Amino acid sequence: MAAAVFENVAKTYPTGLFGRGGVAAVRGVTLTVPAGSTFALLGPNRAGKTTLVKMLLSLTAPTAGTITRLGAPATARATLGRVGYMHENHAFPRYLSASDLLEFYGGLSGVPAAGLTAKADALLARVGLADRKTEPIARFSKGMVQRLGLAQALVNDPDLLILDEPTEGLDLSGRQLLREVVREFKAAGKTVLLVSHVLPEVEELCDRVAVLAAGRVVYTGPLADLLRDPKTGGRRPLEAALRPLYEQGVAA
Amino acid sequence: MNPVPSTIRTVRWMVRDTFRQSVSTKLFWVMLGLTGLCTAFCLGISVSGTAAEDRVKHPDELPTYMPKKYADDKVKAEGIRVAGGEVSLGFGLFKFEVTKSRADSVKLIQLWLAGVLADTAGVLLALLWTAGFLPGFLEPHAVTVLLAKPAPRWAVLLGKYAGVVLFVGLQAVLFVGGTWVATGLATGVWEGAYWYAVPLLVVNFAVFYAVSAFLAVWTRSTVVAVFGTLLFWLLCWGMNFTHHRVVGYDVAGLTPAAAFLIDAGYWVLPKPLDLSGIFFDALRAGDYSAPVPELVAVKERGAFHPELSVVTSLLFAAGVLSLAAYEFRTMDY
Repeated sequence: MAAAVFENVAKTYPTGLFGRGGVAAVRGVTLTVPAGSTFALLGPNRAGKTTLVKMLLSLTAPTAGTITRLGAPATARATLGRVGYMHENHAFPRYLSASDLLEFYGGLSGVPAAGLTAKADALLARVGLADRKTEPIARFSKGMVQRLGLAQALVNDPDLLILDEPTEGLDLSGRQLLREVVREFKAAGKTVLLVSHVLPEVEELCDRVAVLAAGRVVYTGPLADLLRDPKTGGRRPLEAALRPLYEQGVAA
Repeated sequence: MNPVPSTIRTVRWMVRDTFRQSVSTKLFWVMLGLTGLCTAFCLGISVSGTAAEDRVKHPDELPTYMPKKYADDKVKAEGIRVAGGEVSLGFGLFKFEVTKSRADSVKLIQLWLAGVLADTAGVLLALLWTAGFLPGFLEPHAVTVLLAKPAPRWAVLLGKYAGVVLFVGLQAVLFVGGTWVATGLATGVWEGAYWYAVPLLVVNFAVFYAVSAFLAVWTRSTVVAVFGTLLFWLLCWGMNFTHHRVVGYDVAGLTPAAAFLIDAGYWVLPKPLDLSGIFFDALRAGDYSAPVPELVAVKERGAFHPELSVVTSLLFAAGVLSLAAYEFRTMDY
């Protein structure tokens, strides 16, 4: 079973008075994220990566096409209970403590109330915030907020973890922690969808990749295939493999 | 998995979150402080004078009464016992004579506290206090993670709305309860009808907060939510008053179209003046205070329908909230 399937998905954001104009962010994307894979979504800025992720999370409705999430249409919100989502720029409610936030998001995700506090404590210990669990988030640094963002993404034991630029603001130990989490998901046969510009991380963690440029998929397949130099048959750096693909977006 | 349906679960968590948000704001403490101040004020009231049962109303009695000491001998000779006494406020700092019975004097103070201070200044302050809750909450960076949970968007909005209304209701209970107990302790007058102020305040706030919520969802701007709601509140008072003026006094020179528009506007929009009138009647305030003449006029013509006023005001709130929920449900993040 696929963790996510996009079929001819398009998204145009309305612009201008009464939305008469429009900016096409995603154009006819057909893509499958296999279950159990660690899948990287790559592309230059404004390629449509975040829009694709937002459509998968039902945050934005596609203009055309269909999206399937964990075997059900993305319009059915129930499967969101099996999804964890972390993005680069969290603004959590400043009046909550770290512990309260995890309980709140866990509760909304459908985690039973019994044991929610213990779970929140365990996750905060995991991300290195156990000693700050009762402090208001208003006092947290950007890195601490990112760690909390990771904890909230894990609070419902998701089958599909979506990480959109997750290392932004994280220090070395935070990045190490994130890598550990991704490896654990891989070992457990769960799916990770990673959107990142940090290529060494992608090379280290991911087994499959899709490259978007100007709203279109210009490559999808195993990362190993992308890294294979077509001329020499040897391994080439990911950056070298991506450059011509990214340029397709510039040309378009 | 959690056996509680996601809608109920979402509303419950959102209400809980809103309570935390409310407590964290400075204006919460300001409102609590004002309640404390009013309670202290009520503790400082003392009233001396005739008891309510001694009060016999003369058929020719005017709505405004002469103080007892000025009641002329002719009145006294007719055997009318003239009500009156002294009210002291601020633990004896201010004293003045009143022409009402002890109970009526206390009820008049309560009418001012709940019907004027809380229902006008209090409701406006609460609208100002809570107007920023939704726009801040709906900022894309703040809400995307929450909206990526299996929580229906309309239930998220409903939970936030219900949380705010319940919290303001709690403040109303504290205000009415505190001032009622304080007044009772200080004067010995325990007027049960004063508690009608709680539903009055909650309904009044709930109706206008629905408008604030709609503006917040639509524009995500606190400024628009504050000023838009304030303008709408003024519009509703104006429409309510104008309707009663036209109906109660048969205002001449109105075209049928204008009359229809005023009637339609009155029935569609919330009716804050009518809600105040209901509270006025609940306190039987006509015995000791002058009512709004326009309300009296429509009542005399049988054109005042308190139940319909409440129901249509609440229906308006439900309609506006549904619009807000629809807008929120279809919004891209």
